[in-house]
Amino acid sequence: MNNLGEFALMLAFATALYGVVAYVMAARGNRIDLYLSADKTPPIVWGCVTLASIALWKAFLTDDFSLEYVWAYSNRQQATFYKISSFWGGQKGSLLFWTLLLSSYMAAVYFQNRDKKTVLVPYAMSVMLSITLFFLFLLNFSTNPFERIPLPPEDGRGLNPLLQNYWMVIHPPTLYLGYVGFTVPFAFAMAALITKNLDDGWIRLTRKWTLISWFFLCMGNLFGAQWAYVELGWGGYWGWDPVENAAFMPLLVATAFLHSIMIQEKKDMMKVWNMSLVLLTFVMTIFGTFITRSGLIQSVHSFDEATLGYIFLGFLCVIVAACVTMILKRLPELRSKNELDSFLSRESSFLFNNLVLLGIGFATFWGTIFPILSEAARGVKITVGPPFYNQVNVPIGLALLALIGIGPIIAWRRASWANLKKSFARPTAAGLASAAALFPFVPLQDKSQALTYLAFVLCAFVTATILIEFFKGARARMELHGESFAAGLATLVWRNKRRYGGYIVHIGVVLIFAGIAGSSSYSVELQKRLKPGETLELRGYTFAYKKLSAVEASDVKTRIIAQLDVTRDGRHIWTALPEKEFYKGQNQPVSEVSLYSTWKEDLYVVLADFREDESITVKAHVNPMVSWLWYGQWVIAFGTVICMWPDRLERRRRLERFRQQTAAFAPAQE
Amino acid sequence: MMSQKKIKFVAGSALIVLAIAYLISTGINNTSKYFVTVDELQARKATYYGEGLKVKGKVVAGSIMRNPNDYLDVSFKIEENKSNLKVLYKGITPDMFADDRDVVVEGVLAKDGVFHANTLLTSCPSKYEPGKEGGAERPGSMPNYGAEKPDFKKTESLPKTEI
Repeated sequence: MNNLGEFALMLAFATALYGVVAYVMAARGNRIDLYLSADKTPPIVWGCVTLASIALWKAFLTDDFSLEYVWAYSNRQQATFYKISSFWGGQKGSLLFWTLLLSSYMAAVYFQNRDKKTVLVPYAMSVMLSITLFFLFLLNFSTNPFERIPLPPEDGRGLNPLLQNYWMVIHPPTLYLGYVGFTVPFAFAMAALITKNLDDGWIRLTRKWTLISWFFLCMGNLFGAQWAYVELGWGGYWGWDPVENAAFMPLLVATAFLHSIMIQEKKDMMKVWNMSLVLLTFVMTIFGTFITRSGLIQSVHSFDEATLGYIFLGFLCVIVAACVTMILKRLPELRSKNELDSFLSRESSFLFNNLVLLGIGFATFWGTIFPILSEAARGVKITVGPPFYNQVNVPIGLALLALIGIGPIIAWRRASWANLKKSFARPTAAGLASAAALFPFVPLQDKSQALTYLAFVLCAFVTATILIEFFKGARARMELHGESFAAGLATLVWRNKRRYGGYIVHIGVVLIFAGIAGSSSYSVELQKRLKPGETLELRGYTFAYKKLSAVEASDVKTRIIAQLDVTRDGRHIWTALPEKEFYKGQNQPVSEVSLYSTWKEDLYVVLADFREDESITVKAHVNPMVSWLWYGQWVIAFGTVICMWPDRLERRRRLERFRQQTAAFAPAQE
Repeated sequence: MMSQKKIKFVAGSALIVLAIAYLISTGINNTSKYFVTVDELQARKATYYGEGLKVKGKVVAGSIMRNPNDYLDVSFKIEENKSNLKVLYKGITPDMFADDRDVVVEGVLAKDGVFHANTLLTSCPSKYEPGKEGGAERPGSMPNYGAEKPDFKKTESLPKTEI
């Protein structure tokens, strides 16, 4: 099976190479025979990569330690669950996993567009094949997951216990699906540039793919935050680490892209801009991979094989050069005849939201690469940390939040004073009312708390604008069709999935903003050493330490659990059970955080140390509003699914329009 | 020629871009820290006194001391190319903080040559190629106990307490 896997990878490489060459030659020489044979390659590549992946999975499940990779990331006692996820536990397997996802996307696009006679598809296929080819090159010649150990050892090293939790199964695949998915819009954008089909055809063909990738990337980021929060035990969910930034930047650029393509669809404008954004999104995903795998930037979680970084850097340079050349070459065709009408209009609010999103992206990028830049320019490494990102991104983020409120309700083309007054009177009143209502409750002692207060007020303003939109639409349906309010609301959303789905996503974003604002300003923490019977007081809660117990959970795992009773005003609220787990053969304990989460605040307890006399050192946090982030995540997921839901109505409308047009040109025969 | 409308848009966009550039440059000026290794620090000590610094080095074997009355009070030495530096740190030490591990400390160098760290980060040990989210090397993670399984009756498995 290992031989088969290795062979399949080689075959995939050869087929992809042939496919790329044949596609290009077919296009150049206008040769249909070559095209027909080239067009068979994408599914074959996909089949081979799938076969190789199955072979690697099989090696994991059957404890085949003759593979160096399986030996390094699995052992006999490991649960099946983790044997499966060990696949992407390290450099080599994660590259294979990446290739598997990439070729699956490619196959899906291939079968989706098989019967459509669009000129874009073969070109897009050849772009996707070339990118797959790069990864297959790495897998075959640099990081082969099927590398053997001549004398297979009895047992493997096992997956790092820190990775042995269910997030390992959820987070990396989600993030990868997001990362890899942006190859599809990139490929179609490139195809549009090459073939000069520069209308919004490529955008419509890839809108769903862009949304799917955006969805996974967004979920991947938030799952990562949740993993960090519940497992790593430092009490936060986001640390502005280079690797986190690497996943955050493409998300920002993609968000900008998703918004500005609406202007192109509606007004046939901003073509250069959209093209640049989609290419930049893809470049950012490759840049992210480069950061993770190069070790060039000091990060807490990067892979340690530095050589691969330079190959990725080369690949990155090639892609950037290709993007820039193509856009420059097509600049005349990309010029748009229309221009923006007014400063105060929906269009310009989109332009500003784009600038703001890219501003956050650029600040993050600058902070991430600053150590390299400063070393190159001045010979000293200068780093920036979370204070930098917070200082820069918080004000820009607040501007973005305000635009989320303004954008959807400001008039298209040109907003007059009258319709500004009409649409903004109520949301502004809601914002001011919430400002007054919150004032007595929100502490305003420093700059950060003032910004939090501002964030809350803006959240109220944005929520009001969105709810009013829903309410207005539903009431119009009530009056026109005599529907009940709930039915009116449901039909409203169902018949305008893109628009209202988008609003729902915005509500999720507002929840996340509120959660970040609340938790970053009002969190408190305390470290204390306790003997049994002693207590710790934190923000009105009393943590009383009861006892320490040791549990032999299994042959390989011992758990040390501390028990703390948490009371407030004499009332029992929760029993905290923070613990430390010790794995056989591993030289580091794994801490398990004990967490009590409500909509208002989280109680978060970490066992830092224990002694022979059963005294312990604990760290307790009270983190307000963290759960709002996870609520926001689910709201975003729900909204995106609505946006993505196949819209029969939309298709019927388009068909109807088409039929009317043809009918006008073909008078009745009878 | 640019129309007046266009000038307005360019000016508006330029304003946003300038505001962001201003935020970035003041942000860098206010929050940036030198990142040096121990030998670089010792070679140019005078320039670094009192500055916010990040220092990278390897924990000298056997140098980790904890205050017997306060587990969170730690002192240790880090070295790089035969230079070493004494570090004082108060707080929970990360899981993988142990002898011979690479660490990064953030803090201030005092006049007496002792480094007062407020953040302690560990890099991953070479045995592991850490996964994407796997680096629990955050400030304020757990201390290390060495390879033995803990036992309440055994004192060897517990951390050193002499200072």
